[in-house]
Amino acid sequence: MREKATTLYLGPQHPGITGNMMIRLKVEGDTIVKATTEVGYLHRAFEKLQEQRNWLQSFTLMCRFCVPETDPMEESYARAVEAIEGREVPERAKYIRVMVLELARLASFMLWYGGQNGSLGLYTMGQWSVGDRNYILDLFEELTGGRVYHMYIWPGGVRRDLPKGFEKRVIKVLNYLEKRLDDYDDLMFDNAIFKKRTQGVGLVDKKTAIEHGVVGAVLRGCGIKSDIRIDDPYEIYDQLDFEVPTAEGGDIWARALVRRQEARQSIRIIRQVIDQMPGGAFYNQIPNPLKWTLPKGDAYVRTESVRGEIGLYLVSDGGNKPRRVHLRGAAYVHAVSLLEDVLIGENVADVSAIMNSLGTCPPEIER
Amino acid sequence: MNDIKAKLTEHIKANFPGAAEKDFKGENRIDFSIDKEFIPSVLTYLKNTAGFIHLSHITCVDWLEEGEFEMIFIIWSPTDKLKVFIRTRIDREKAVMPNIDMIWRQANTYEREFREMFGIQFIGLKGAKDFLLEDWEGPPPMRRDFDTAAYAKDAFFERPGREDALDVREEIIKRSREEIPGFAKKYSR
Repeated sequence: MREKATTLYLGPQHPGITGNMMIRLKVEGDTIVKATTEVGYLHRAFEKLQEQRNWLQSFTLMCRFCVPETDPMEESYARAVEAIEGREVPERAKYIRVMVLELARLASFMLWYGGQNGSLGLYTMGQWSVGDRNYILDLFEELTGGRVYHMYIWPGGVRRDLPKGFEKRVIKVLNYLEKRLDDYDDLMFDNAIFKKRTQGVGLVDKKTAIEHGVVGAVLRGCGIKSDIRIDDPYEIYDQLDFEVPTAEGGDIWARALVRRQEARQSIRIIRQVIDQMPGGAFYNQIPNPLKWTLPKGDAYVRTESVRGEIGLYLVSDGGNKPRRVHLRGAAYVHAVSLLEDVLIGENVADVSAIMNSLGTCPPEIER
Repeated sequence: MNDIKAKLTEHIKANFPGAAEKDFKGENRIDFSIDKEFIPSVLTYLKNTAGFIHLSHITCVDWLEEGEFEMIFIIWSPTDKLKVFIRTRIDREKAVMPNIDMIWRQANTYEREFREMFGIQFIGLKGAKDFLLEDWEGPPPMRRDFDTAAYAKDAFFERPGREDALDVREEIIKRSREEIPGFAKKYSR
């Protein structure tokens, strides 16, 4: 006998340790038959505000688009402004940028470890990884003055040079994290509950991935090798040696395997960057920010975040403010049309884990 | 890269009347301006035949002074490592676009957002009317002529007890008796 359908409202209070959004679920028993994403709880109209701020004021809003990983947005904005203006960036700044981006990726992976396990009721991992993330945030605090929002990678280079002995402290944290990643493996990937709850759950096949414009670890978890850092390299990624891990299966488990390898690749990249770090200037000074105008033009730049490709389209009409800022985060496609499709046929108890696995970040959708 | 760009330009110009290209020399980018009626067919060609399988972004720019919206579809070929920008201009007053969410499902999300935030209608678009906003009846807020400050002034009231802090700059002048430089007044709010 067919069970009567019921409507459940999941959220809007952090339904998957992701941020505020709601999913309206139509369920029969505990199986989902329809899912509708409802966003708007974090809509703060950043893009509209940026049209009313000068180029530098506008930059300070960029890091707010997604809290777990703020630096790719700053870097995108800086690179788009530089592309429109034709501003050169010193070589040292490019290295420092990559180091910061990869540290941000690592910090974001740590949050993902906690969120992914927490959504399955495995809370020990969250205590470990969020605690370890603080060592990276300490480095950010020393370098930029801020732990979460950095406003460090700005047009022309970076805001300040590395403090004395900073590289050594980074290496120390990396050595520690490398050991901890092995501990994480024991706790997470050797865990029968984690395997049972993630294998065959939240499936995304290759065709669906292309239909929905899927990016990042979700795409690589379907066996498609794609990474903006390799395919459309920026800063100095083309001079670095690293691998793009993939996995077959397209489920939460496959995506977890990809991210597990990616965290190690980030450590590998940071080590190379520190070894090859050139000296010299770290900033190509912009003019007086209050009088700074950019020539007419547009730029579209892409950055690889932990959640996947971030695209920023920036337009200048020749004035002292952006004509248009439009950010496309990975969550914009993953957490709306894709999530609605993937959830059909899944169990209510797995929704949070699937959201987390797809890299859901509501502020990236609402901007 | 140049060969691929040349082939693409030749095909698009031959099949879509009025198409114009702008090549960004030395970059992996080429732009095409095309009439809006051809948008679904050019995107279908690029996705199914030319290998541009990834819809990277759709964006809309409000050119208020020219009375037009510019819609831009940015697509990416993983094999050729090339970005193609498909641009089209539509009348701001009768903003209607063909729907492309049957080509890429994710386009539905963009189209719903543009319908709500710019007031652009997409023919045959399905999906709830409210996306980011709720019960919104005012003009589409991402249009350039929507004045955020004026809206906030009309819609909300000032918190009692903050009357002296309404204009921070004036208050600074009053308290410190220092004049704020003219350029600072001009360029900042």
